[in-house]
Amino acid sequence: MNTKLIKKGDLAVIAVIVAAALIFAFFNYRNAENPVAVITVDGVTVETVDLASVKEKITIKPQTAFNVEIAAENGEIWFEHSDCEDRLCVATGKLKNGGDTAVCLPAKTVITIMGSDVDAVVY
Amino acid sequence: MKKAAAVIVAIVLAALAAFVVYDATLNKTVSESFFAMNTIVSAEVTGVSAKEDCTEIEKIVSRLDTETLSRTAEGSEIFRLNKNGGGEIGEKTAEYFSLLIDVCEKSGGAFDFTLGGVSDLWKFGSNPEIPDENALANALLHSGYKKVFLDGNTVSVSDLLVIDFGAAGKGIALDEIKNHLEASKAKRAVVAVGGSVLLYGEGEFTVGIRNPEGNSGSYLAKLKTDACCVSTSGSYEQSFEKNGRIYHHILDPKTGYPADNEVLSVTVVSDSGLLSDALSTACFVLGVEKGFELAEEYGARAVFVTKDKKIIARNNIEDIIEITNEDYTLVIQ
Repeated sequence: MNTKLIKKGDLAVIAVIVAAALIFAFFNYRNAENPVAVITVDGVTVETVDLASVKEKITIKPQTAFNVEIAAENGEIWFEHSDCEDRLCVATGKLKNGGDTAVCLPAKTVITIMGSDVDAVVY
Repeated sequence: MKKAAAVIVAIVLAALAAFVVYDATLNKTVSESFFAMNTIVSAEVTGVSAKEDCTEIEKIVSRLDTETLSRTAEGSEIFRLNKNGGGEIGEKTAEYFSLLIDVCEKSGGAFDFTLGGVSDLWKFGSNPEIPDENALANALLHSGYKKVFLDGNTVSVSDLLVIDFGAAGKGIALDEIKNHLEASKAKRAVVAVGGSVLLYGEGEFTVGIRNPEGNSGSYLAKLKTDACCVSTSGSYEQSFEKNGRIYHHILDPKTGYPADNEVLSVTVVSDSGLLSDALSTACFVLGVEKGFELAEEYGARAVFVTKDKKIIARNNIEDIIEITNEDYTLVIQ
């Protein structure tokens, strides 16, 4: 009779479980890296910007009902210009922290930096 | 022995796979955002029918706006009431009316859903301006919830006033969304209609209270709560500056001008979306002391952010609030 505490088969089982746990952990936690800004128009993502990788100022012109310009530089992103009436989007200023959001309602355009640590912000 | 080991491995793998599939089906999370009610609506739903729930949420908000609440959509119930000076409404709308008349009364008129004519003169949302004094006085004269009568499903109005559910519409939408999620057996959801939020289902939620000086995603305090509705009324939304003064969209029904007191924002936590929304406006107009009294009359909880950088709450919220902005001090009254 084999009296070894751990058998070959047990090792295989342990290996499978450890591998599964590692894969799970990798997919779950890999997002906690650089700030990423997501630009949506009418609920559809049109551009994703890894803010840390933007070395020189870039300008993005999403396809919207009228002319909207979004700029990113130095880890920040903002509405640089909009032809909308109230320009609340431009007045919002620069976004850099997880959860920061700027909205141009008339253009149905939203910039959000991913990774807020709250479920929602009331305003 | 090798055979036994292989069987164990196979069973574990099968169990793992079954679990992954089961978990992915039951706990599928879908996020969507869209524009309705002149604002952005975002929904994150977890459950078997998360995708369908998100689609339905969009329909609920759009339908509620165009068929019931909108003041400008021809054919909506409110549009017809304003056009015809009263009339028949649906059962649900009658319920909203009844609840809102109650808030008007209990707040002593600090909340009033008949100010459409007054707010039109301020043109918030387009090109806001200070209205002509006489025009404002005249519009104010033709307003007042006491001129609106509800008898069953019939609304009658004794003046040419303009009914406007704008200060409660987002909250009403949250209540209707909650009804849908209950029926569809969703597990958990966070739905924001503009700045009003429905927290639905299992577990704890964290809500940020907007920093009046920051962008719409930045917050100065966190509330940890169970399922509920949370709404905020803030003077930083829809405001403009003229001659060194800030004019905002929360109008005092007594004067027709923006409510002018120590308050920057009020956040109200309630089981009811309609109440959290309407009470946040009422509490803003009433100010800290009377605001707390009103909220408590409805079993709701309130948090005030004031111009002297205080966050004022009562002990019913002390345990769930955390200040995250060091410029502000928590005061428990």
